[in-house]
Amino acid sequence: MKKYTPASTFTTLILSVVALFYLYPLFLVVINSFKTFSEITSNVLALPKSLVFENFSNAFRIMNYPQYFLNTLLATAVGVSGVVLVSSMAGYKLSRTKTRYSFVMFMVLIAPMMIPFHSFMISLVKVAKELHLIGSPLGLGVLYWGLGASLALFMYHGAVKSVPQELDDCALIDGAGPLRAFFQIIFPLLQPVTVSVIVINTMWMWNDFLLPLLVLSGSKKSLTLQLAAYNFFGLYKVDWNFAMAGVLLTILPAVIFYLSLQRYIIKGMVAGAVKT
Amino acid sequence: MTPLKRKQWDRALTFALFTLPALAAILISVEIPFLMSVFSSFTKWNGLDRAQTFIGLENYKELFLDDLDMWKAFGFTLRLTLGSVLVVNLCALLLAVLLDSDIRGKNALRAAFYVPNIVSLIIIGYIWRFIFSAGFESFFQTTGLDFFMFSWLGDVNLVYFSVLMVSVWHSLGFYLVIYIAGLQTVPRDLIEASMIDGAGRVVRFFRITLPLIMSAITVSVFHSLSNGLKAFDVIFSLTNGGPGNSTTTIALDIYRTAFVINRFGYGTAKSVVLFLMILILSIFQVRLFKSREVEV
Repeated sequence: MKKYTPASTFTTLILSVVALFYLYPLFLVVINSFKTFSEITSNVLALPKSLVFENFSNAFRIMNYPQYFLNTLLATAVGVSGVVLVSSMAGYKLSRTKTRYSFVMFMVLIAPMMIPFHSFMISLVKVAKELHLIGSPLGLGVLYWGLGASLALFMYHGAVKSVPQELDDCALIDGAGPLRAFFQIIFPLLQPVTVSVIVINTMWMWNDFLLPLLVLSGSKKSLTLQLAAYNFFGLYKVDWNFAMAGVLLTILPAVIFYLSLQRYIIKGMVAGAVKT
Repeated sequence: MTPLKRKQWDRALTFALFTLPALAAILISVEIPFLMSVFSSFTKWNGLDRAQTFIGLENYKELFLDDLDMWKAFGFTLRLTLGSVLVVNLCALLLAVLLDSDIRGKNALRAAFYVPNIVSLIIIGYIWRFIFSAGFESFFQTTGLDFFMFSWLGDVNLVYFSVLMVSVWHSLGFYLVIYIAGLQTVPRDLIEASMIDGAGRVVRFFRITLPLIMSAITVSVFHSLSNGLKAFDVIFSLTNGGPGNSTTTIALDIYRTAFVINRFGYGTAKSVVLFLMILILSIFQVRLFKSREVEV
């Protein structure tokens, strides 16, 4: 059993107070989303007199929430699964093949880690247009493949080194083809990296704004939640009660994702950051 | 085909099968657009029609000699980056040291500080617009402090601090967990040995802990540097570059040049400059910091 000194209890106390202040803005969002408009204008800091759920139903309806939620889910799901698939395969093969060509290929594939998105976004829109990847959540998801693959591939490449080569050989001798050997034997062993890759890419794609803005804003039906929220705020510059309900609805999925997978998320984010 | 040739052929085929999907995806989404941007930066192109007229270095000439707005954005981006690199790393390191000691509830506290980081920057910017307007008005009515009546988003001198504070508030949790992970790699026996040798807390921190977590510092500074130079979302929703042009960052300036005023060729020239700037600063930073890392 650990012993806590009085000094450490004091530190906990101070840090808890700091943390409460830190999260206070989010608390304000929550309480104001339940207020009437006149309550907000009279005092933002007071607790709501009664809970006004109409704010949420209004925001839900005006934002067209279900449609945009599904769009975001589709783009994220397509994006994340594509990134996992192409980068695990490539990371594995490049890690196992020790030739000059393999090294050159590796360099070509991880080079994008040094290229910031803003430096090629203008031409990316042009390429996306040519390939008809514009204006649909599915196309957005496909565009994410190449944007997320480099970091993921780099992480897989490192992790494969700790998987013994003998396992590949055994599977091949037992008559499995290279694809089957990879997906049945090696890929399950890379699960910790896969979890990190999923976490990093899900958080990023779900919250991304600029790429959806560039490729989706022309077609009203295919917006993502972040875009819809941004447009919604534009409509309600002063009606903070609707707006705050909209904020809560938009961040709710990410919060639920975070609360249920907190441990993996923090671990995954660190893994991704430290790898670069 | 001889058996040996056949085996080589098989091997090449498998290699292609595993790596070509990734190559195709990366070429389409990053590398081809990047090369096209470099090419377009030497052209005049309005983005609507296909025609791009080659004009040599004209875009770069305009950018470096005539474009005061771009240089203003450049200056603001650098100031914002410098501020956030310093503030976020110092705060995160301090918090990490406190949270890494033996205290009750450190997991809950760590999770609490991480929460803003899971919210998208677009939403964060909007939440703070609410706090700075309606929220601060109520704070003023409650406390009577003039501080809350300042125009935090409308005053050219104050808005820098507002943007800085909001970006730090959002990202602190991310750097915090990097530093905590770094601190956990410091071997306990080294700490104990230094305690036996009579090193005080402060000496121990600067002489033992700090050199050993240098790699966490390198990583953390690298990310805060490049995120600062790329700042877009938070500006877009918090100030939209204003008041005037005072909080326009390079990324926002590029976006506007291309997608608002339709000067796509000129926009790509700016984006090539942004790429070079981030590349050079990052290499410089990583070199500088790596040289100070030590192995246990």
